[in-house]
Amino acid sequence: MSDTLTSKLNPLSLPLRQQLGLLALALLGLTPFWMGFLYAGDQGLLHIRTITIAMFIGMFAMSWDSVSGYTGQISFGHAVFFAIGGYGSALLNLGWGVPPVAAVALGTVLAAVAGLLIGVPALRLEGPYLSLVTLVAPLILLQIFIFRSDVFGGELGISNPDPLVSTSGFAQETYVFFYVAFALFVAILAVLLAVTRSDAGSVLTAIREDEDAVAASGLNPAKFKTFAFVLSASVGGLAGAVFVHTPMASPTPSQLLAQTVSIEVIIAAVLGGMGTIVGAALGGMFLSVFRSQLSNVGLTVPGLDVSVGDLDLVIFAVVTLIILFALPGGVLRWGLVAGRKLIGADSAAADGGRTPVEQTLEKFREFFRGGRDD
Amino acid sequence: MALPLTDVVANAVMMSALYALVAIGFTLIFGVGGVLNLAHGATVTIGAFSAYYVSEVFGYSIWVGALAALLVPALFSAALYRGMIRRVEDDPITVMILTLVTAIAVEEIIKTVFGTQPAVISSLLTGQVSIAGGIQANNLLVFGLSWVIIGLLFFAINYTKTGKAILATSMSTKGASLVGIESDRMYLYTWVLAGAFAGLAGLFLGSIQTASWSMGRSPLVLSFSIVVLGGIGSIRGSVIGAYIIGFLETFTMSYVDSSLSGLASLVVLVLILLAKPEGLFGREFTE
Repeated sequence: MSDTLTSKLNPLSLPLRQQLGLLALALLGLTPFWMGFLYAGDQGLLHIRTITIAMFIGMFAMSWDSVSGYTGQISFGHAVFFAIGGYGSALLNLGWGVPPVAAVALGTVLAAVAGLLIGVPALRLEGPYLSLVTLVAPLILLQIFIFRSDVFGGELGISNPDPLVSTSGFAQETYVFFYVAFALFVAILAVLLAVTRSDAGSVLTAIREDEDAVAASGLNPAKFKTFAFVLSASVGGLAGAVFVHTPMASPTPSQLLAQTVSIEVIIAAVLGGMGTIVGAALGGMFLSVFRSQLSNVGLTVPGLDVSVGDLDLVIFAVVTLIILFALPGGVLRWGLVAGRKLIGADSAAADGGRTPVEQTLEKFREFFRGGRDD
Repeated sequence: MALPLTDVVANAVMMSALYALVAIGFTLIFGVGGVLNLAHGATVTIGAFSAYYVSEVFGYSIWVGALAALLVPALFSAALYRGMIRRVEDDPITVMILTLVTAIAVEEIIKTVFGTQPAVISSLLTGQVSIAGGIQANNLLVFGLSWVIIGLLFFAINYTKTGKAILATSMSTKGASLVGIESDRMYLYTWVLAGAFAGLAGLFLGSIQTASWSMGRSPLVLSFSIVVLGGIGSIRGSVIGAYIIGFLETFTMSYVDSSLSGLASLVVLVLILLAKPEGLFGREFTE
């Protein structure tokens, strides 16, 4: 076997697109350095914080993509997992004094259990019914949070738990938590890439294409779907748990549980490229950074007295719809194909050239046609 | 508990009629066109605020406002279908994202135009009626009107030519088009009907309670439960579902805790989906 692990991981022997990806990751890792050159003082620090938050949104988007983008089971309420991870970890830390690292671990376990609880029964449901259950799950959780405001703080959320690492001073805090987020980002990216590029990942993709065919070849689709759901929930829960232990976020419904969080994640993944992980990460980061920049724009829409910043979600939705029509594979896939054409390395696609969005839509279409046209 | 049972039952009977009004529109669109319209709640809000705008800002009678609450949401609904949904109606994900985003946009616009303070819509009738220990005449009227409208719809769907064509489309698009029914127009009818119903429900809700930018959310969420419980596409199922959910909701809020609104019905929704996804009166989706 000449194709050993070391040669596979040697950056020099990788294809160009992966080398570019590594370069981008390295650039991201060096953000505090080049940001320091571009902006002086606190301005630079604030931008570093923006990127830190963006990495968390990227992780949320990757979490969604690993189940919905690969198996085609669209979840409209992924925020439920971020919230269970975040709130669970924060409450363990505040209520029982569990040290942050252990609380994060336990919060992740809680989210994984929630993934199992929602994922296993949801497997019995198809298409829009699954979406309805996932749409309703965060609403139920929010309702419980409001009902037991004494524990969960209702709409306002609970106070910040202990930070993951104790720091002194604004600058140190910014740098330390940037690297906490970066380390987690790289870890989650690596795990999800490894899983989705493995044989199990191929099975997940096959489920999106044709579940019956997967079952016919002797593999149990339910097992793989459950696995994807639990993996996605734990990743989302982990990101949510670490997020609340940074000074950039606190366990509040608007940051972890609101419907807009679930939708943002979907928009981000579709924007970047559904079923690519990398695309979802890019989409999430882009969306987050762009939103925070948009809120700084002082422009108002004439006649309505609404600032452009308030309409950010609407603007993104419109952009997403255009992308759904124009580049159904997302920006990343389009970039890859364009890049291949540019360097003349274009080859035939083995999957019939259909994008995950098209495949998923086809699945839904069959479901509806089946009901209507018999 | 402090609340007398008759009051709670009277309230539940009336609110359930309103929920039925909202749910029927939701189920018409889903049952006939196969579209999950998540902007249905926003249509409720539009209805309430059209009436508010016409009657409170322009100073016309509330009955003119009621006309606005009927027409504006119907137009909005038709425009939503013609302008956006028709192009993507085969892609449920796009439809869900699109309608959800439309709902957010409508809420945001209403929030910025009318503010976050609850708006008071004047009553359609004033005074009290001495049934069951005294009920406000307005509430009784709302209840009566809701049932008249539901009855008219029943009649229209089952006995008029257009109504039968809508039914046929909901059963089989292909079969309906073979006998010369334009499914596209039937879809448009369901959207207009659903819009008008939701708008009226919005006006009624606004005149019983108050109108606010987020008032459409809880009827929408209740509609999920009602429609799934009653069986998707079944009007009879929606009315019965609305009464089950309406009573459940009112009793939970009156006797358990008012902050639990919506929770009981959501739990019912999840249980029904898992145990009997086709609902009480629904047709099962065939392969």
